[in-house]
Amino acid sequence: MKKSIIIIVNVIIMAAILIFVVFYTGFESRNSFRRQTEHFENTTVTMERVTENYLEGEQRLCDVWAHYINNKAMTLEEAAEYIRSSHVLENISAHLISLDTLTGLSTRPKHGTSDDYAVSYQRVGLLENVDWIDEIGESINITRAYTNPMNGEQSLAFCNRITLCDPDRKTTGAAVLLRVIPISVLEQKWVFPQTELTNAELSMIDANGNYILKGYSFKNSSFFEFYKSYNPTDPESSEQLFDRITSSTGSVSMMNSHGQECILAFTPVSSTAGWTLLGLVPAKDLAADTENWLLIGIVSAGLLILFFYDLFYMLYFNKRLQIAAREAESANKAKTDFLSTMSHDIRTPMNAIIGLTTIAEKNLGDVKSTRESLRKISLASNHLLTLINDILDISKVESGKLKLSPLTFSIVETVENLINISQPMIKEKNIEFSFHINQMEKEYLYADQLRLNQIYINILSNAIKYTEPGGRVGVDLREEKSEMPGCVRLIYSVADTGIGMSPEFMATMYQPFSRQTDSRVNSIQGTGLGLAITKRMVDLLGGTIDCQSEQGKGTTFTVVLDIPVADRQREDMQLEPIDVLIVDDDETVLQSAADKLNSLGASAELAQSGPEALGMIERRHLSGRDYDIVIVDWKMPEMDGPETIRRIRSETGTGIPILLISAYDWSDIEERAKEAGANGFVSKPLFRSTLYDKINDLIGKESGSIEPEDDYSDLQGLNILIAEDNDVNWEIISALLSMFGITAERAENGQVCVDMMRAAAEGSYALIFMDVQMPVMNGLDATRTIRKLEDPWASSIPIIAMTADAFSENVTECLNAGMNGHIAKPVDIKLVIKEIRRIKDERG
Amino acid sequence: MKKTMCMLLGAMMILGLAACGQEKPETAAEEGFRPSLDTSSASQIRVAGGYDNFEALEAEFDRFNEYYPNVELMFTKVDDYNNMIGTVLDGNDAPDIYVNYSWMYGREQYKASIDHAENLADPALGLDLDCIRRNIILNTDDGTLPMVPVFSNTYGMLVNNSLFEKEGLSVPATYQELVAVCGAFREKGYKNPMMGFSNQETTSLFTLTSYPFFCGTVAQDAEAVKKLNALDPSAGDYMRPTLEKIVQFLDDGCVDLDACAEIENNYDAVILRFFEGDVPMMTCSGDAVSGTKKRESRSEAFIANPFTYTFVPVPMSDEGANFLDIPNLQFSVNKDSPNLDMANEFMRFLITSEELSRMAQNKGLMSPTKDLSFNSVYAAFGDVPESRILSPEEFGLTDDAVKQVRQAVFNVGTGEMTIDEAIAAFGTFAE
Repeated sequence: MKKSIIIIVNVIIMAAILIFVVFYTGFESRNSFRRQTEHFENTTVTMERVTENYLEGEQRLCDVWAHYINNKAMTLEEAAEYIRSSHVLENISAHLISLDTLTGLSTRPKHGTSDDYAVSYQRVGLLENVDWIDEIGESINITRAYTNPMNGEQSLAFCNRITLCDPDRKTTGAAVLLRVIPISVLEQKWVFPQTELTNAELSMIDANGNYILKGYSFKNSSFFEFYKSYNPTDPESSEQLFDRITSSTGSVSMMNSHGQECILAFTPVSSTAGWTLLGLVPAKDLAADTENWLLIGIVSAGLLILFFYDLFYMLYFNKRLQIAAREAESANKAKTDFLSTMSHDIRTPMNAIIGLTTIAEKNLGDVKSTRESLRKISLASNHLLTLINDILDISKVESGKLKLSPLTFSIVETVENLINISQPMIKEKNIEFSFHINQMEKEYLYADQLRLNQIYINILSNAIKYTEPGGRVGVDLREEKSEMPGCVRLIYSVADTGIGMSPEFMATMYQPFSRQTDSRVNSIQGTGLGLAITKRMVDLLGGTIDCQSEQGKGTTFTVVLDIPVADRQREDMQLEPIDVLIVDDDETVLQSAADKLNSLGASAELAQSGPEALGMIERRHLSGRDYDIVIVDWKMPEMDGPETIRRIRSETGTGIPILLISAYDWSDIEERAKEAGANGFVSKPLFRSTLYDKINDLIGKESGSIEPEDDYSDLQGLNILIAEDNDVNWEIISALLSMFGITAERAENGQVCVDMMRAAAEGSYALIFMDVQMPVMNGLDATRTIRKLEDPWASSIPIIAMTADAFSENVTECLNAGMNGHIAKPVDIKLVIKEIRRIKDERG
Repeated sequence: MKKTMCMLLGAMMILGLAACGQEKPETAAEEGFRPSLDTSSASQIRVAGGYDNFEALEAEFDRFNEYYPNVELMFTKVDDYNNMIGTVLDGNDAPDIYVNYSWMYGREQYKASIDHAENLADPALGLDLDCIRRNIILNTDDGTLPMVPVFSNTYGMLVNNSLFEKEGLSVPATYQELVAVCGAFREKGYKNPMMGFSNQETTSLFTLTSYPFFCGTVAQDAEAVKKLNALDPSAGDYMRPTLEKIVQFLDDGCVDLDACAEIENNYDAVILRFFEGDVPMMTCSGDAVSGTKKRESRSEAFIANPFTYTFVPVPMSDEGANFLDIPNLQFSVNKDSPNLDMANEFMRFLITSEELSRMAQNKGLMSPTKDLSFNSVYAAFGDVPESRILSPEEFGLTDDAVKQVRQAVFNVGTGEMTIDEAIAAFGTFAE
C-alpha cells in the first residue's frame, strides 16, 4: 500500500513537472511566435518601403519621359522615337496609346516581327477609364498585371497622361504613356530578403482586393475572394477585416489553399492610392518550438528514467532489506545458538574445575587423589582458557576489528615452537610424527607471527587430536618463489591418518562451532572454533587453505601464504672448515642436512645407519683425521641414536662432539642421551641457522655438558618490581616467582610504580612486570613516564607487560609504549621464567 | 496488483508523452493516380486562360501537389484571351497548358493556338479519355486531338425542387408534362411557373428552349446540316418545326414574357430571380448554373428561405428532352513547353472521372465525364438516353448557322417576325 502511494506521488510529481514544462515551453513558444510575427510584420513594412522606392523610381522615369514629350509637343512617332533612344533596358518597353482609339505605338516591335510597332489596348480593358492616372509627378500610376499585347508577356505598366500632336501639329490629342515592365523581372527582385522567410510570399492588392502583383500562394484574382474561399466567416466580419487590411499595418492568421495556417502581414503602400502590400508565410515557419519539444522529450525521458530507476532501486532496496532482515533474524538465532553453545562449552570445564576443587578439598589428606584432582583442574582450566581465547579471536574476526601486527620473526623459532607445543600430545597418543623442511632459504620473515602460529598450531593440533594412537601425522613446510614481489611462498601441509571428514561436514567446517562427530572422537574436547579462526586468519593474511579428506583414511590440510621477507637475514653464517658426519636412516633428511652443512662451509659425510657410522668414524680415527662433529638421529631401525653414540664413545674412545637429532621433545630423551654421551641436541626439522648455532656452540664448548633445564640458580636473588592492582594476581605471581628464588615488590598502580622507580637505587630491580589496566595511572602511561626518567638505569629498566589484554594489537601497543615484552594472563610460569632469562641474557 | 499498477502508470506516462508529440502529417496521396515521375521533381507549370478566377483549377493544383509537392502550378489570366493566346504562345512567356476551344479549328486567326497544342490522343501520354463523353472529344480533320474538354455546357432549366415537392408535382419529362405542370402551378397561384431571360438573343429563353429541339430535328440529316452551314436560303425551312414549337410553347402559356422582360441579364439577374423562390422553373445555360452557388449568399430571399434546386433539360418534345452537349472549356498542352513531362503528368492526373467531376463541381459547371452523378445539380442530364444527347460540333453545325437559328427563334418568340418571315430571312440575320 505504501509503495503504491509512493509511486502515485512520484507519477503526480512527474506529471506536474511535465505540465509545467509543457506550459512553460508553450508560453515561450507563443512568445517566440509573437516576436517572429512582429519581425515578419516589420519585414513586410521594410519590403513596402523597398517596393515603394522601386515603384517611385520607375514612376519617376516614366514622369521624365512624359514631361519631355509634353514639353516638346511631340507627335506619336516622335515620342516613340524619343523613348527608343533614351532607354536601353532590354525587357522594358513603352507604349504610347491614344485615348481616342486605344491604339498607338510600342517602342519595341511585335513579337516575331521587326517593324510592326502598332499596339492596341482596345481589348485589354485597362484604359477605357483613365481617371486613376494622376497628373505627372503626383503619384504612382501603375496598372494591374495584364498581358502585353505586343509579346503576350504578363506585365505591369507605369503610366502618365500625355498630350500628343497630330502629324500636322495643328491639333493635339490625349494619350497615355505606359512604361511596361514584365512581371518576371519584378518577381526576380521582389522576394523577402531573410533566409528564414524562404516560404514567405508577397502580393500587392488594390483597394478592392484585386491583385496588382500576385504571389504563388495567393489564389483567385481577388485577395478578398481568396480569403473568403478558405476562411469561412460572416460577411460583416470579413468586411471589417478587409477594411483593416487595406487601411493599417498589422498581421492576422489565415488559412491558405492547402488548409495550412499562415500569417498574413499587411501594410499600405503609402505612395499609391489604396494599395496594400501583403506578406504571407506559413505559421510553422515562425514557430520555433522544435527545440521545446526536444526539451520536453528530454525532460520526460529523464523523469521516466528517474522514475523507473527509483522504482527498481526501491524494489532492489526492499529486497536487500528483506535479506538483511532474514540475516538479522538468522544472526539473532546464531547469537542464541552461540550463547547456548558457549554456555555449554564454558560450563563443562567450569563444572570440572568446581567439582574437582570440592573433591580435592574433601580429600586433602589423600595426596594422590588431591594431585589427580589438581591435574584435572589444570587440564580443565587450560581448556577453558583456550576456549576463551578462541571466542575472543573469532569475535574480533567476525566484527572486522582484528588487525594484523606484522613484525620480523624467525620461521625457525616458529617451527620450534610448533614442535614444542605439539610434542606432549604426540607423545601422549604415541603418534608417528614427521616434520620435513624443504628449501627454507629465508629465516626471517615479516608478518603477524602470532596469527601465523595460530594457523599452524590449529591445523597441527587438529591433526593430532583426530588421529588415533598409532596413527601418523606428517608436516611438510617448504618455501617457494612467490609471485608477489618481496615475498616468499610458504606452503604448510599437514597430513594425518585420522578419522577424516564427511563431505557434508567439509561444506560447513569453517563455520564456528563445527565439530566432526564420530563415535571415536566423542571424547575429544574442542571449542569448534579452531578451523573457523584458522580460515579467517588465512584470509586475513591473503592466503589460501585447502583440505583433502576421506572418512576413515585421513585428512590433508594445505595452507599457502605469501609472506614478506624481512630486511634482516643472517647472511654471514659460515663455519670453520670442519668435517661432519651425519647419521640418519632417512635419506631425505641426510641429503637436506648435507646441503645445509655444505652451504655453511662444512664438509659433510653421510651414514645411513649406526654401524656404517661406526665404521666411518673408526677409519677416520685410525687415519688421524677424526670428524669434528658427528650428528646422529635418535630413531634408526638397526641401531638407534643413543646406542650408536654409546658405541662411538666406547669403541673409538674419541671425544668427538656428538649432536643428537630428533623430532621428540628433548626432555623425554635427555636422560638416555646424556647417558649415551651426547653433547647436544638438535630438534628436527633441521634449519641451517640451528645447525650453525649448535655446531658453533659445540666447537666453542668442546664437549661441555648440557645445561640442565631445571637449574634455576641463575635466577636466585633477582628482585622484580610488579605493578599489579589486583591482590590475587599479585599474590599468585609473587608466589610463583618465589618458587624460583625471585623476590618481588608490589606497586598498586602505575603512579606508585613510577614513584618507586624514582626512589629506587640503581640495580634495585632486575625488571618490572607491568599490568596495563590499573587505577590512577595505567601501565602504558607508567611505562612512558619511566622511560622519560632522568636516571638512565631507571629509564632503561626492562619492562614486561603482564596483562589480560592478550591481542596482538595490545602487544604492539605495549611495545610502542616502551615495554620490552608481553606476557598474557593467566600467566604460564614457564613463559615468565623464559622471559626473565631472555631479559637477563640481553642485559648481560 | 502493485506490479499491475506500476505498469499501468508507466504506460500512462508513455502514452501521455506520446500524446505531447507533434501530430504526424496525414498522408495526402490516395489510391488511384500513381505518379510516373520523380515525386521530388521541382518545376513550374503555368496554365493560361481567360478566366479572372479559376479556383476550381487551383484546388486541383493543391491536390496534385500532394503527389508532387515541389511543383508550382499557377493559373494566369491572359487579357483578350482568344486574340492574345497565339501571341502568348509565340512569346517568351508561353504557358505550359492553356485553355483552347474547338471552334478555333480551321480558322487561320487561331491557327497558333491549335498548332502549339500537343496531340493528347497519343496513347503514350496515358490520358483516360474514355472517362469523357465521346461526343465532346473533338479531333481535328487529321485525327489529332489538340485539346480535351474539362467542362461542358448545356441548356436547360433550374428547377426549384422544394417547390415541386411542396406542391406535390413532378419535374416534367415531356412537353405535355411541362405544359401540365405549368398549368398546375398557375392554378396553385404561381404567376410564373416558368421564366427566362428574354431581352437579348444570346442565351435567351427562346434559344435555351428551342435550340436543343432544333438540333434534334437536324442532327441526323447531313444534307440539312450542310445547307444550314452554307447559309443556303432554302435551309430556313429546316427551322419551321422549331419555330412552330416556340409559338406553341408561348401559346400554351408556360411563360409570361412581360414578367421575363424584367430580368435584366442572362446571368446574375436570372439567378437572383430564381432565388426569389417563387419560380418553379428558370431557363438558363450551364454557365449561369455555375454562378448559383456563390450567389446563394447574396440573395436575401434565398438566405431567408433556402431551397434545393437542380438543373434539368427542357422537355420540348413529346418524346422527351434533348441533352445539348457542348464542350465548354478545353485544355491543350503546349508541345514546346520546357516542362512538357510534368505538364503531361498533370494532365494525366486531371483527365480522370474523379478529378474532372471534382473540378466541374467546384466551378459549378457540368462535368465532361460520362458519369454525371458526382454533382447532383446536373445528375438529371445523366438520365437522358444517348440517342437524345446531341453535340452540334459533332454533327457539324457551325457557329454561323447556329447564330441564324438563334436570331430566327428570338424574332419569332418576341413577335418581331412571323414564322415564314423568319424562315425567309435565314442567312440574312446580322449579329
